[in-house]
Amino acid sequence: MSDDGDSTITVNGKAVALEPNDTLLSAARRAGATIPTLCHDERLKPVGACRSCLVEVEGQRRLVPSCLTKAEPGASVVTDNARIRRHQSVLMALYLADNVDAAATDDTADASELHELAEHVGAPLDWPRLETIREQRSIDRNPYIEFRADRCISCARCTRYCDEVESVSAITLAGRGSATTIATADQVSLMDSTCEMCGGCIAVCPTGAMTEKRPLLQLLKPATQLKKVRTTCNYCGVGCQLDLNVDEAANEGRGQVVKITSPEPGTMPNDGNLCVKGRFAYNFVDHEDRLTTPLIRNADGSYREAPWDEALAYAAKGLLGVKERHGADALGFVSSSRCTMEENYLVQKLARAAFGTNNCHQCAAT
Amino acid sequence: MAGLVTTFGAGAMTNSIPEIRDAEFLFVIGSNTSEAHPIIAMEMKRAVARGATMVVADPRRIWMTTIADRHLMLRPGTDVWLLNAMANVIISEGLTDPEFIERNTEQFEDVVAAVAEYTPEQAEIITGVPAEDIRRTARQYATTEKAGIYYTLGITEHSHGTDNVYALSNLVLMTGHLGKPSAGLNPLRGQNNVQGANDAGASPVFYPGYQRVDDPAAQAKYEQLWGTKLSPEPGMNLNVMMKAVGDQIRGLFVMGEDILLSEPNVKRLEEGMNGLEFLVLQDLFLNETARFADVILPAACFVEKDGTFTNSDRRVQLVRKGVEPPPGALADWEILKRLANAVGMSWSYEHPREIYREMAQSVPNFAGISHERISERNDGLQWPCLDDEHPGTKFLHEGGVLRGKGQFQAVQYRPSYELADDDYSLLLSTGRTLYHYNAATQTRRAPGLHAKQPEPFIEIHPKDARRRGIAHGDWVSVTTRRGQVECRAIVSRQVRRGCIWMPLHYAEARANLLTVDAGDPVTQTAEYKVCAAEVVKLRDGDGANTFPGSFYAAGGPGVVATPAE
Ligand code: SF4
Ligand code: SF4
Ligand code: FES
Repeated sequence: MSDDGDSTITVNGKAVALEPNDTLLSAARRAGATIPTLCHDERLKPVGACRSCLVEVEGQRRLVPSCLTKAEPGASVVTDNARIRRHQSVLMALYLADNVDAAATDDTADASELHELAEHVGAPLDWPRLETIREQRSIDRNPYIEFRADRCISCARCTRYCDEVESVSAITLAGRGSATTIATADQVSLMDSTCEMCGGCIAVCPTGAMTEKRPLLQLLKPATQLKKVRTTCNYCGVGCQLDLNVDEAANEGRGQVVKITSPEPGTMPNDGNLCVKGRFAYNFVDHEDRLTTPLIRNADGSYREAPWDEALAYAAKGLLGVKERHGADALGFVSSSRCTMEENYLVQKLARAAFGTNNCHQCAAT
Repeated sequence: MAGLVTTFGAGAMTNSIPEIRDAEFLFVIGSNTSEAHPIIAMEMKRAVARGATMVVADPRRIWMTTIADRHLMLRPGTDVWLLNAMANVIISEGLTDPEFIERNTEQFEDVVAAVAEYTPEQAEIITGVPAEDIRRTARQYATTEKAGIYYTLGITEHSHGTDNVYALSNLVLMTGHLGKPSAGLNPLRGQNNVQGANDAGASPVFYPGYQRVDDPAAQAKYEQLWGTKLSPEPGMNLNVMMKAVGDQIRGLFVMGEDILLSEPNVKRLEEGMNGLEFLVLQDLFLNETARFADVILPAACFVEKDGTFTNSDRRVQLVRKGVEPPPGALADWEILKRLANAVGMSWSYEHPREIYREMAQSVPNFAGISHERISERNDGLQWPCLDDEHPGTKFLHEGGVLRGKGQFQAVQYRPSYELADDDYSLLLSTGRTLYHYNAATQTRRAPGLHAKQPEPFIEIHPKDARRRGIAHGDWVSVTTRRGQVECRAIVSRQVRRGCIWMPLHYAEARANLLTVDAGDPVTQTAEYKVCAAEVVKLRDGDGANTFPGSFYAAGGPGVVATPAE
């Protein structure tokens, strides 16, 4: 034990310096210990609901939930021993007995943390199955979010997120014991609740009980077969980081964005949160209205398709013609706050260097 | 934009988004944050949950007002009165920061003189906000250490938008709320890359990095970089340009915008478009503007190309290509390169990172930023970032105001361009909603967003509705001196009496047929937030529940019975 007892704890025999507001979990993780968690999320107040993070604290007879327990200076903690493993394995087996098969979770938006964890701790998979008695909300006509009661473990990550982060409290824990379920007020559709369709409940759910609606996931392969590409949202000025989930073989090999997921909490500027537009409004990408060939207007006002070289030569000639007839300042260049920095740079360079005018402004000049 | 460059020397959020959660006082003005910037709203909610005080100044009841300590429900267009009255209180009660003023600012005397007449009592008459609320807000703002101001288009989209920004800057400078974490002045940008487009020089007066086109040194720098002569004449602002379409402007190149859906006073613009000799359009979809185009070039969208966006807190982040564009479409940068080469340039960029490098080497504040560096981090890089070792800048003005001295700008109230009168007795404001985005070419192609808000609507106060025989859900016609649209009426106390509000996302009810194109004298930003209008009932509603859920739900805060006025 270090004699610096008022600012450190010992984790598996190793001293760790404490930071303000440390729990046993945060301190132990800093010390490199792996502690499984299900109901824990850095953005939420800990509640100690799932019991998967139990550890042994010297001088205490029972295992304690590390996510909930404040790290007291001088404490000595063990995160991994036979007793803890036995606890984890029994706990996961109980959860699985009241849940679906691992194979069935392939169709959800993300891999099920529960099933991964069960495998990781070597939980017995052959325990008898229970018939779920959690109430399932009948068909909810909201377009995005589906709740599958048979996968829920009542960890309340979703309801706490809705409450503490999104602050709209659209969903809540209802019922008791093994009948505990996730409900809306009067079990109305999310559409008629205060829900803002942020999809945060989907992102935090560790089991796939909160998931994207099946129609959205129709083409979905298991998460392991999708490529994640980190990018920046193209809607508002917050610039949320998000992950495109790409099915690379789709669209004749061009690839297709089949869903959007949020990165880990702590990823700035959005701390792993997204809004309805960032998470769900990507259908336009594959919309049939997308333009796929340059168009040139005929004398009668109709359009004809043209190859790129011809269309560009025509555009160049048209703009240069205006410049010849009326001078460079008879040209205007409207750039876009939706396009990239590089593209905006090129538009002003085009206006200034190629055509000789400063008549260049982005649309949305605020 | 221009306002902040004048007063502080940089037109951007002075703080970072992650600092909001630690703020102790939040003054949110002209920003429907939970709908326009939901993620910033989450940070604000977090601050409030930790005990911060929040005051919202907005003519409408919005979601944020439901968690605010105080809602200053001012009459549209009277912001300068409100803000000058707050300055009046701070000065007369001796709550300024004399040391900061002395060390970091100039022209404070002008403001002292200018706001002397803006007493809270007078302000109450004009703004409709109780004098006591103005006093309390001013005191709390001045005496709280971590006090931040957040604003958006509700401040800038006025014919006096720059004055509004000056009035806010004055409050910041006189209280020394600058150069510290969680305390500053923060414009929240409406679009993903407004900040970046400005930074990149898509502006008639600035080269990249706010270097003026009429500054000979800047001109010489870019003449050398680009190897050609450049014009020292500032160009036309967007609003001026749109008014000149068909007249001085005979040829137009438009990238990624539907100007006919998003520019004010669109009727006048449509007439002008007929006088254009040549129009090139570059976009994902055929839009309203396409009717006038001579050539349309199909572009790739953000998941189909590489590049960077710069967000509201000056954070340069990577846009990464995840999929190939549809066959036949090209990334905008590639189209621009080929177009430039078709007019005789010889641009050879192979990847956007080369373009960024060219820009960064011409702007000291961006010099340390590159695609390569950003890709090694998970939080982007915030300018100023001076060299390859520089970590970026979380909040501005730390060692003193960037401009050298913060510039106080005395402002006087000027009424909005058009006020209500006998023929058009209501004040119309326009805005955005959570479920759609600007011209909605993307969001209306998302079935769920469309289901949530499928139809155009106005919000109208119950008393105004009753006088006109309008019931909740009825179809009405909204008329101004410029045009007329049809939509559904939402009878709600969300709006003040005498005011109506309408979202601007719907092609079949284009709010910009109605709005004035009067521009701010400095920025030329058009006045989308105030014009005179009248509403007439057309026919009964069919009882459809137009706005299921959220703020508008029966029993939700939007239509909950609030004390009658
Ligand atoms: S989508 Fe967001 S608002 Fe709706 S229930 Fe889930 S967490 Fe709550
Ligand atoms: S739905 Fe998911 S997040 Fe919510 S309580 Fe059930 S398992 Fe937990
Ligand atoms: S993670 Fe600690 S009890 Fe769930």
